[in-house]
Amino acid sequence: MKKRKKKTDPLGRGRNCSKYTYQMLSIAGILSFLLVWQLLLEFGILSDRYISKPTELVALFIQKMTDSSPDGSTLPIATLASLQVALTGLLLAIVTGVPLGLLMGWYKGLDKFFKPIFEIIRPIPPISWIPLTIVWLGIGLKAKAFIIFFAAFIPCVINSYTGIKLTQQVLINVAKTCGASNFTIFWKVGIPSAMPMTFAGIRVAFGNAWSTLVAAEMLAANAGLGYMILMGRSFARPDIIMLGMVCIGALGALFTFILGIVEKRIVGWRNVK
Amino acid sequence: MGEKKIRLKLTNLKKSYDTAKGKFQAVEQVDLEVYDNEFLVLLGPGHCGKTVLLNMIAGLEEQTEGEILLDGKAINGSDPRIGMVFQKTALMPWKTVMQNVEIGPKFRKVEKTPRRKKAQEYIDLVGLKGFEKSYPSELSGGMKQRVGIARAYTNDPEILLMDEPFGALDAQTRFVMEQEVSRIWEQEKRTIIFVTNNIEEACYLGDRIVLFSECPAKVKEIYVNDLPRPRDVISPEFLKLRTRISDNTDLAL
Amino acid sequence: MKKENTVVPNKIKASDVLYFVLPILSIALLIVCWEVASKNTAESFPTITATWERFLRLLDKPIMRVSYWGHILASLKRVCIALIVSWAIGISFGILIGWNKKMDAFFGTIFSFIRPIPPIAWIPLITIWFGIDEFPKILIVFIGAVMPVVINTHAGLSSVEDLYLNVGTAFNANKRQMLFEIAIPSALPSIFAGIRTSTSTAWMVVLAAEMLGAKSGVGFLVVRGMDGFDMPLVLVAMITIGIVGALLSIITNCIERGLCPWERKK
Repeated sequence: MKKRKKKTDPLGRGRNCSKYTYQMLSIAGILSFLLVWQLLLEFGILSDRYISKPTELVALFIQKMTDSSPDGSTLPIATLASLQVALTGLLLAIVTGVPLGLLMGWYKGLDKFFKPIFEIIRPIPPISWIPLTIVWLGIGLKAKAFIIFFAAFIPCVINSYTGIKLTQQVLINVAKTCGASNFTIFWKVGIPSAMPMTFAGIRVAFGNAWSTLVAAEMLAANAGLGYMILMGRSFARPDIIMLGMVCIGALGALFTFILGIVEKRIVGWRNVK
Repeated sequence: MGEKKIRLKLTNLKKSYDTAKGKFQAVEQVDLEVYDNEFLVLLGPGHCGKTVLLNMIAGLEEQTEGEILLDGKAINGSDPRIGMVFQKTALMPWKTVMQNVEIGPKFRKVEKTPRRKKAQEYIDLVGLKGFEKSYPSELSGGMKQRVGIARAYTNDPEILLMDEPFGALDAQTRFVMEQEVSRIWEQEKRTIIFVTNNIEEACYLGDRIVLFSECPAKVKEIYVNDLPRPRDVISPEFLKLRTRISDNTDLAL
Repeated sequence: MKKENTVVPNKIKASDVLYFVLPILSIALLIVCWEVASKNTAESFPTITATWERFLRLLDKPIMRVSYWGHILASLKRVCIALIVSWAIGISFGILIGWNKKMDAFFGTIFSFIRPIPPIAWIPLITIWFGIDEFPKILIVFIGAVMPVVINTHAGLSSVEDLYLNVGTAFNANKRQMLFEIAIPSALPSIFAGIRTSTSTAWMVVLAAEMLGAKSGVGFLVVRGMDGFDMPLVLVAMITIGIVGALLSIITNCIERGLCPWERKK
């Protein structure tokens, strides 16, 4: 029955609570987390040599907006450096990986040719390419973008490939009976129906790129948020490390959110039932 | 009809939902009496609130107004005396046929040997001997619904609700399953409330046929069908009853 | 595709041959590329033979008094301990916040604030806290591995189909039976997706942790090769990492097939 609604709660899962209660609980969760963290330090249960207070992090955040000590760059500059690398790598991966995956999924010849190479390279984590890349390309933007490209490329290919392979045969048959050529079917039927999967791949690719970025910046860089964290360790400054972690986390969440909105715009038809 | 024992009594039953577009009335004032061991068919056009009515009897949904009395006492929530065969078979894909069928006694913490014995009895009755260890994904649509029926019977309900159980089957299998349900009912008498939107199915199975109007669901007329079983679907009496009902049916869009 | 069109007569046979030849061709091409690329720059990009010889030498001569197999075992030990702990904790926590909406609102929100921080970003903080022993490495791998398990378990449990829950209600299941007999089994495929992701994440994170400070493990081999400008060693280590990673994912798939027989028989 279409009109059926959630029933009353025989499971004790708290379904009959109002939305308001849940929102309050969420806020309470975050606040108590911060409060416990702050209080543990205020009462000296944890030492501030190992961890800093939330309030101190806020103060440091404001200070780091203009101050470049101790790691050599202010927070906005470090953030920009990281974003530049991550987005360059990610865009390259999307531009090359998605078409490759789509073509491989549609044309069997390409599939047979590229699949073995892909399967050999795929299990090697992108991080382990770092030493080779340093030797080849140094520690600049190019080297890091290459590693990030690697991390993001694989999910782009896999998801586009699977997505187009899952195109419903019925839809292909409809196009065939309308006299469409193989390429037209690929373009007008295959690609659109692969889009939801492709987007899921891009989201995974972003996650991979972002966490590989941190590794790349910690192993081979002189700027960026990952580098800032690493410097924080060298100077034994937990506050710098934690500020870097928070920024990385927040930026990651922000971009995932933006990707979600773009996805809804483009493949919104999928959710309309 | 007066001397028959009334098992289930619905009085002034109503159900409405609050939706974005305002109040939606799914069931409007249903008064109905269900007799002991009868095969009652609820017939109505698609999406007219029959499933909601059944869900309320099964305790899956709460009525907005009115009462459901079983043997004279109001029931609240799901009652073990009422069993259900679901529309979409609703077999657990991770359980084998045997594990699916024994689910009722298992939830009542009946020990393994007696409950297995009982489940086996009904697996045999629905004709699935040899498939005990199969998973639902290995069975055909008709076989799956046989498991659903065996599952409902194994729980030993006094009243059995069947919600368009054969809606998803092809015409051939559907007719075979109708014969099966009729056979099983005569072998193991229970009170059955069977929902369908198929007039022929209703006439073939029902002792009484309750015809519902379009949304919101409301009883339009009740037909008594005392043709002898197994029924002949092309006998003049059968066709006459069929025509009488279909002339009175609201057309569903 | 163009090639295919040129051999249209007796198409089936020709394309079959083509499909057989293409994979071989591609691997051959990969090898030739490697050889050509390494010919001029043998220093920074060793040849296949140099890599193979380095591998054989590594089998004889241990690095830091740990043999080749010893390094692999060291990494695997860290990964396995971290994985087992993260599965136990991750699944329990995922069930808790996936099944109980109030818990989800309270703890789930805290979790979703910590979640976007990549596991590798924890390395500096954890080395400040616990030094560079075994425990901090396992802890870092644990952080990386526990996230996908929690996320997938949560998703699986909070999206159990109403249909199955209705069956439970109709057959009078109590809360415990509802959870253990219906909700958890129906979430198993999703939980296993989490376990699969956690395995590959763990393998990646252990590598990063070892590269940033360790005396054993395959990640250490990579860094050792880089520091000593021993590029063949780097390549040997990379190939090893690839093979072990692939084996790990095969093993998890086997476990899944063993534990979810109804999925296999589809």
